[in-house]
Formats: sequence, C-alpha cells, structure tokens
Amino acid sequence: MNSKQLRPTRRDMLRALGAMAATAVTTRASASLAAAPASVVLPFQNGERDLVAFPQKRPLIVLTSRPPQLETPFSVFNDGPLTPNDAFFVRYHWSGIPTSVDAQTYRLRVSGKVNVPVEFSLGDLKRLAEPMEFVAVNQCSGNSRGYFTPRVNGGQLSNGAMGNARWTGVPLKKVLEKAGIQAGAVQVTFGGLDRPPLESSPAFVKALAIEHALDGEVMLAWAMNGEDLPMLNGYPVRLIVPGHYGTYWVKHLSDISVLDKVYDGFWMSRAYRIPDNPCACVEPGTAPMATIPINRFNVRSFITSPAEGGKVPVGSSSTVRGIAFDGGYGISKVEFSADGGRSWADARLGRDLGNYSFRTWTTPFKPATRGLYSLKVRAFNRRGESQPLIAGWNPAGYMRNVVETTTVSAV
Amino acid sequence: MRIVLLGLIVALPTASALEITLPPETASYKPSDLPGYALVQRDCLVCHSAHYVQYQPSSSPRSYWEATVKKMKTPFGAPFADEDIPAIVDYLVKTYGTE
Repeated sequence: MNSKQLRPTRRDMLRALGAMAATAVTTRASASLAAAPASVVLPFQNGERDLVAFPQKRPLIVLTSRPPQLETPFSVFNDGPLTPNDAFFVRYHWSGIPTSVDAQTYRLRVSGKVNVPVEFSLGDLKRLAEPMEFVAVNQCSGNSRGYFTPRVNGGQLSNGAMGNARWTGVPLKKVLEKAGIQAGAVQVTFGGLDRPPLESSPAFVKALAIEHALDGEVMLAWAMNGEDLPMLNGYPVRLIVPGHYGTYWVKHLSDISVLDKVYDGFWMSRAYRIPDNPCACVEPGTAPMATIPINRFNVRSFITSPAEGGKVPVGSSSTVRGIAFDGGYGISKVEFSADGGRSWADARLGRDLGNYSFRTWTTPFKPATRGLYSLKVRAFNRRGESQPLIAGWNPAGYMRNVVETTTVSAV
Repeated sequence: MRIVLLGLIVALPTASALEITLPPETASYKPSDLPGYALVQRDCLVCHSAHYVQYQPSSSPRSYWEATVKKMKTPFGAPFADEDIPAIVDYLVKTYGTE
C-alpha cells in the first residue's frame, strides 16, 4: 500500500508536538499582522467557526482541523440538488488520515468467511461489472447536533453535515460474490486507510448485515459527480450505503471481512447507538433503556431561500425554495406554512433524481402585510412518515429532524 | 550520483498518486496557570486539535469533562497516567465548562 504511513511513531508525535508549539507561538506573535481567517457564527451558543479551504475544497466551516471535520455552508444547498465535490462535508474519526494514495498500488482486501480471499486493484473493481450510478444523500448522524435542547456534547454541527451527489461504482454484491460468501455469514465489516494515531485505539470499522451488504444497492464508489472522489471524501474508493447515515460510508475502503457473528468492535457496539424505539428519542436528560445501531435517515426538509433573517417584498410574490429527503422510500409531498404552522399548503416538487436524492421544492409566497413571518416546511415520504413539530431528543444528538422554521421579514 | 537519482525517483509521487497537504493547525488551548494546561498540551494534542474541546457548549459540566477524559484513556487508548486525570479535568471544566 503506497498510502503514506498512517500510524505515527513516537518520534513523529514528538515532532508534531514541536511543530504545534511553534505554530501556537507564531499565531500569537503574528496575530496583529496577519488577517484573521474568515469566520461564521453558527446560531447556537459557542458557535464561532473559521472558514478554511482544505485541499480540493472551497472554504468550509471548520469543526475540527485534526482530523479534518468540515461543514458545508448552508447557502450551498440553495444552488441546486447536487452538492459540488469541493463543498461536500468532511468527517473523520481519527487523525491518522491518508494524505497520499497511489491509485496504481491501492488494493482492497476481501477476507474472512469467503471461499477465496481476494485483493482488488482499482482497475479490477472498475472491470468487475457494469458500473452502477445513483444519486444519494450522505448525512452525518450528528448533523444539526448544535440545536439540541438541552445541549448535548459531541461535534457541534449546524445543518451542513449533509450532501447529495451522483455516485459511480460497483455493487458491493459483485465484490463479495467474487470472493464467495460461505454459509453462516452474518455480517460484513469495512475498514479504511484512515487509522487511529495510536496503536492502542480502536480502528474505525463498521459492519452491515449480510443481507444488506448483498442488496445490490450498497456500492463501492470511485467517483462522485463524475469526478474522482476528493481525498477528504475517501479517495480512491468509499462505501456508499444509500439511505443510511454517513457513519457506514467508510472512506479509503481497504478491508472487507465477512463474519459469522455480529461484529462487536467499539464503533458498532458502543458508538453510533440510538434509542430502540420508533422516534429514536427519550425524555430530555434521560438515558435510553435499550439501544440499537443507527441506521436509516428519517425524513428531513429545509428552506434554502430565503435565508434565516432574510427580507421579502410585501405585497408581491416571491419564490420560497428548499430541499427534502428521507431514508430511500422517496419524498411524496412537501408542505409549506407561512403562518408558523397554523395552515399548510402543498409545495411544488422539483425533478425526481431518485429515492435517495435531495428532492427540491418551490412555492410562491406573497406576504400581505409588513412584519415577521415564521416560515415552516415539512415533508412526507411514500410510507407516510413525516417530521415532528417538537424536536425529539437523545443523549448522543443523532437524527434531528424537527420541522424547521425560517423567520423572515416582509418589507 | 546513481544513489541521488534513485532517491529522487522514490521521493517523487507517481502520476497515479493523489497527494494533499493539510493547512497548518491554528487552534490552541487557552493559556492558564492551572497545572492541567501543560498536561492537555502534552496528552491531548498528540491525537487531535484543540477544537474538540473549544467547540463544546459552555454549559458542559464537570461530569462531562471527567467522563470524556476517561474515555480518551479507555477505550480510546491515550497513554497518559491516571494521576493526570484530575488536573486535566479541572483545567477543562474551569476553562471551557461551567466552573
């Protein structure tokens, strides 16, 4: 594997610490000389964030720099249903991320309860089957965590840890069939080139049920929006688990293993767990009785224009627009309210890019009088599932999907 | 000369490699006279930027910081000593939390 070595030695760590000390001093010394980085204030307590352009990315909202965790500025979602690669959010768990990957020497290993362990090159994967392609939303489990009330700890994200892209790759099913699944297979695990900084830390490994892994939709993607994956989105190959939270979309995919039992690693058995009930919620401040691994997205919808605090002309019609999505059943209806949720009317749905995609919507809005308007949107999927008017709560801050409100003034 | 050339070949990325350079890290822990200030720089920066601490809500109580520091040790495997934990927690809650 020609990815730069990921597990630093003790000497590397000491060197990094030295560099950091130097950085801290430089920052203080030059603070009055250098321009401060562009920044934004997210609308919750302690929401000040820098905007920094990481490699292959436009300036994005920095949650953490090491490892990189970058949030998409919300205005991007008003530009169209597909999120550009350079604006797509970034989430890592461990700081040993690959900064150099050679597509020629990259290999994906498939092992465990298979007839023949197989190593695939990128070329092997591309030749394995007719490429498949679909549009799908990726969303972080903790997207919007910063809005939980009472607040919960963890990554304090606004609504930008989501994105929608056209993914190109090969079905995971074809890869697994090449190796041959043995009888008794229960789960399949996935690991990538990103590693913990210390040998003693649990590597980021995720698992799917064998039936899910073989559903023909879970994909190994090498392209998004028609281009190679950016490094920070998982170059050269990542797992696409449409309709499911981003925690399963393992980046820089390098190891697949078929197990004859339920995987019990930290990132499945102790992290990314939700209350085992239909709302994935509990009484605020309490702990769930039982938990299960997070899985499918719930229904969400957003107003992307006008923006919060925006102005609209009184007495004339303007267009309110936005996006909606769900866990893959498809959005069937979007409703809009201009009076804080007292009355609702159907919005017009935009082009259908598939059940896993953002669905754009528009509706005319003609405020009769001056003043503040509380605009709300709620979506329904083909199973009739929708969004709560009062936010559900869980201690990890996952799966927020409350009906969103955008306050604008008619002038 | 042959050795130098070989070194160049090895060092240069091949045409098929994608290589990125991450921007310099700018976040740092807030200076303090508390003994935990030196410890967080030694024990926490090894693995992650100071952002992880900075962005937590200021309403985060001592119980959160204590549980999180302990989580960094088990199961996350951070190699600091148990004796360091009280001072680290004290610095965190007094600098970024409720106290």
